[in-house]
Amino acid sequence: MAQLASSGTTVTLRVHRFSPRLARERDRARGSSPFARKASPFGDSPARAARRPRGRQWTQDYTLDVCGDETILDCLLTIKRTVDPTLMFRYSCGHGMCGSDAAAVNGTPTLLCKAKIADWARRPRAVDAEGFRRTVTDAATDDVTSATDDVASADGNGLGVIELAPLPGFAVDRDLIADIEPMLEQIRRLKPYLIADGTLATTKDGKVDVLEYLQSPEQLARYETLTTCIVCGACEGACPVYAGGEAFVGPAALINQARFIDDSRDEATLERLEAIDTADGIQACQSVRACSRECPVGIDVGEEIWQLIAQVREREA
Amino acid sequence: MTPKHIEEQYDAVIVGAGAAGLSAALGFHRSDAARALRDAGVEPKVLVISKLQPLRSHTGSAEGGIAASLADMEPDDWRWHYYDTVKGGDWLVDQDAARLLAEDAPMTVINLERSGVAFSRTDDGRIAQRRFGGHTADFGAQPVKRAAYSADRIGHQILHTLWQQCVHYGVDFADEWYVTDLVLDETLTRAAGVIAFDTHAGVTHAIAARNTILATGGAGRLFHTTSNSHDLTGDGMALALDAGLQLEDIEFVQFHPTGLAHTGILLSEASRGEGGVLRNADGEAFMASYAPGHADLAARDVVSRAIRSETDAGRGVADPRDPDGAKDCVWLDMTGIDPEHMRRALPQVVETIEDYAGLDPTKDLVPVKPTAHYTMGGIPVTTDGEVYVWDGADRNVVEGLYAAGECSCVSVHGANRLGGNSLLDACLFGTRAGQAVAERVGQDPVAAGTPADPALGEALDAAKTARDADIDALLAGAAKDADGDNAYRVMADLSETMERGVAVLCDAGSIAQAQVVVDGPLAERARRLRPHSDARTFNQELTAIWEARHLVRLAEAVLAATDARHESRGSLKRTDFPERDDATCLNHSMTAAGAAPLRQPVHIVDIEPGARSY
Repeated sequence: MAQLASSGTTVTLRVHRFSPRLARERDRARGSSPFARKASPFGDSPARAARRPRGRQWTQDYTLDVCGDETILDCLLTIKRTVDPTLMFRYSCGHGMCGSDAAAVNGTPTLLCKAKIADWARRPRAVDAEGFRRTVTDAATDDVTSATDDVASADGNGLGVIELAPLPGFAVDRDLIADIEPMLEQIRRLKPYLIADGTLATTKDGKVDVLEYLQSPEQLARYETLTTCIVCGACEGACPVYAGGEAFVGPAALINQARFIDDSRDEATLERLEAIDTADGIQACQSVRACSRECPVGIDVGEEIWQLIAQVREREA
Repeated sequence: MTPKHIEEQYDAVIVGAGAAGLSAALGFHRSDAARALRDAGVEPKVLVISKLQPLRSHTGSAEGGIAASLADMEPDDWRWHYYDTVKGGDWLVDQDAARLLAEDAPMTVINLERSGVAFSRTDDGRIAQRRFGGHTADFGAQPVKRAAYSADRIGHQILHTLWQQCVHYGVDFADEWYVTDLVLDETLTRAAGVIAFDTHAGVTHAIAARNTILATGGAGRLFHTTSNSHDLTGDGMALALDAGLQLEDIEFVQFHPTGLAHTGILLSEASRGEGGVLRNADGEAFMASYAPGHADLAARDVVSRAIRSETDAGRGVADPRDPDGAKDCVWLDMTGIDPEHMRRALPQVVETIEDYAGLDPTKDLVPVKPTAHYTMGGIPVTTDGEVYVWDGADRNVVEGLYAAGECSCVSVHGANRLGGNSLLDACLFGTRAGQAVAERVGQDPVAAGTPADPALGEALDAAKTARDADIDALLAGAAKDADGDNAYRVMADLSETMERGVAVLCDAGSIAQAQVVVDGPLAERARRLRPHSDARTFNQELTAIWEARHLVRLAEAVLAATDARHESRGSLKRTDFPERDDATCLNHSMTAAGAAPLRQPVHIVDIEPGARSY
C-alpha cells in the first residue's frame, strides 16, 4: 500500500466478498447426490432457488490512508488500482448520476460515489467472547476485547471501519455486484413510457408540422421530481417487503408509474392505476417508508406511494 | 437483459445504449420501412449491445441543454444556428451536415418532448430555452436562447425517455456485453458483425449482422482530468482502428472550462449562462478582455485557453482542498445569482459543488479548471451514418457499417463543438442512421432467407477463434498475487501522459514526449497485461485490459494526428503554430493506425471561412 497518498488517518473497508461457483460444478454436485434438494412444496419456485447465491463468501479488510472527505468509491478505485484488482463493484460516472453503484454501506443502501468516508466510518462495536454485543453504551464497553486483531489495529488510530456489502434485496453475482435485473423487469412490465397520441413531427425548412405537447410549469412541478429517479435500487434494497422477491413489484417500478400518472401529457392514468392495484402492487406496500430515507436523489418514495394508494382508493370509491 | 438466444444472423446490431444508440434503435423501429416489415408479419431482428446496464450511459450526465431554433422565447432561425455551428467549429465543419443539424433540430427536440422528455417550460407551456456559449441571433449579432433544457439534467431526461420508448418497441438488449472486435471483410468494404464478450456468462458470441451501428461514445479517459465517466474509453474508435479503418479529425478534443477542480466533474455551462463569472486570483473577471461582448459565454475552447493563460501568467489559484498544490485553477463566482433561482435552475450544479467540494456556491468561490469533455473527431460517416474510408480522392462506404454520436464524426463540430450540439448530434444523426439501416433491411430482411456471404461468416468465425484464444491466454496467465502491473494503473499513467502532452496546449516537443511514452513503455505494458483472477464470469479486469489496449491504440492516433496538423484551430492550440492556416490546413485529417494522416477537403457550401472572433 506504499502508493497510497499519505495523509492524516486511516480507514478500514470491510468488504463482504462473494465468488460464485461455476454452474458446471453446481450441476455436478447436485447430480451426484441422491439427497439433492428437490423443489419445495412450499412455493419455493425454481426461479427463487436459482437466485440463491452458491459459492464462496468471505469478508476482506482493506486499510487505507485517507483524509476523510473521499468518497467510498474513490477508496475502492484506489484499492482496485493499487492493492487488489480482483475486487469487483459497479461504477461509472462517479458523481451520482448513473445509478450503478448502489451498495449496502454499514447495512444501509446508498451510492458509493456519494458516501463520504468520514460520514460512514465508525469504531467497531465491541463484542464479548460469546459474540454478543452490549446494547447499552457506557465506558465499560471499551474494555471488552475486540473480535479480531484486525479490528483492534484499525480501531487504534484511524477513523474506524466501513462495512460494504452488495445491495440487499437482490442476488449477488460477485463481490458487490448485485443482480438487479428483477427490478428492471418489474419496471418494464408496467409500460414505463409516455402514452399519448404518439404522433411525431416531421420538418421542412426548419419548420415542424406539429408542436410539443403544452404543459404549464405547474403541471410539470407535479411530477418533475419523480423524473429524477436514477433506478439505482436503493429504495428496493431498503424495503423489507421487497426483500421477499416476487411478492412485491417494488418501489422503483411504482415511482416510475407515478411519474406518468402525474404527467399531464399521459393518457393512461386509469389503466396505470388499475395495473398497480394488485396483490403484488401497491397492496403489498406496508408503508414502512424505509424507501424514502435512502433515495439518493431525494424522492420521498414512501409518500409518493402513499399518494398512489390514495388515488387508487379514490378511483374505487 | 440477456437475449434468450443468439440469432444466426441479425438485421442490425447496435453497439452502445446512450443517446445515439437508443436513437438509432428508435429511428429503426419508428421508420416506415420497419413498419412495413411488421405489417407484413416480419419482426426485424435487432440487438442493442451495451457494456453497461441500461440507463447507466454517460448521456445521463449531460446537463445544460439541447440546441434547436424553436424560437419559443426569442426570435430564432435555423440559419443562425447553422452559421453559429460552422463558425464555432472554426470552419472545419462539413456544411451539408451542419445544415441538416440546424434544420432538423426543432423536429428532433419536439419529438423528444413528444416521447416524454420533461422539459422545463415557459409560462405558456412551451419548451423553455436558455442561452449557451456561441449560440447567437442574426449571424453573431447577440446571444440567443436556443438551448432547450430540463433544469440542469437534460441528458438524464433524454436517456431515460429514449430507453422507455425502446421498452415500448420491445427492443432486445444485451446488457454488460463488451464488444471486442469489429469484423470486416479483407478489403474493408463490407461489415460482417462483431465479436462480443458476455461478462456475466464469461463467453464470447459471434454476432453476425447485415448492419452494424457503432454508438459507443467518447474517449475522455484519455486524459487525467475529465468530465467523462470511467467507461468512456474510446472503444468504438479503437475497434475501427483495429479493423483497419480511419478516424477523422481525432486531434480535436474539447476541454470544458469549468470542471470542478480536483475531480474534473462537469459544472454545466448553464452555471455561466445563468450569470456565473470566472475570476482570477486577483478577483478580476478576466473573460471580458479575452472575448469582448461574449465574456464568460465565449466558445468553450476560448474560455479554456483563457483560463490556461491566466494560470500560466501566475494568476491562478490552488484548489482549496490542496492549498499547497499547483495554482492551475480559477474561480467560478456564482454569488451574483439569486440563491433561490440558483437552486431552481441549477440543482445539479449546486449539489455537485456541495457534495464534492464542500462549498456553498451562493457564498463561496468555486475552484474550476479545464476538463477533457468531448472528442469532436471520430469514425468518419456520411450524413446517413454510413462509415467510409477516404482513399485520398473519394469516400468509399463500408457496406453495412454505420456509426453515430460522439464516437463518430459526421463533422458538424469541426474543430470545436458548441454546447447543446452534442445531444442534438447524437439524437439526430443516431435517428438517421437507424432509418438508413431500416431502409436497407426493408429491401432484404434476414427473414427473406437470402443466404449470407460465406466469406463474412468465415471472417467472423476466425475473429471469434482468435478472441477466445486471447481470453484463454489471459486467464491462464492470471497473476497469482496483486503485485505487478494492472490495467487500472496503465490507464492512469496513460491519462497523465496525454494530459502533459496535449491537454489544452501543445507543441511538437510535448507531442513527441508523449509519443515516446505511449508508443514505448505504455504500449508494451498494455500488451503484457494479465488479470489477477482466472474467473471468467463478472471479471471486470478482463474488460479493463481491453479498455486499456483500446485507449493506447487511440492515443497513438490522437498524437499522430495532432503532430501532423501544423496550425492552431478550434480546440487544438499548438504554441509552435499559433495561427489558423486555411491555405494548407483547411481539411480533415483521416488517420488509420500506423499510417500518416490523409487529408480530406472540408465541405464548404454556404459560408466562406472567416475570422472566428468571440
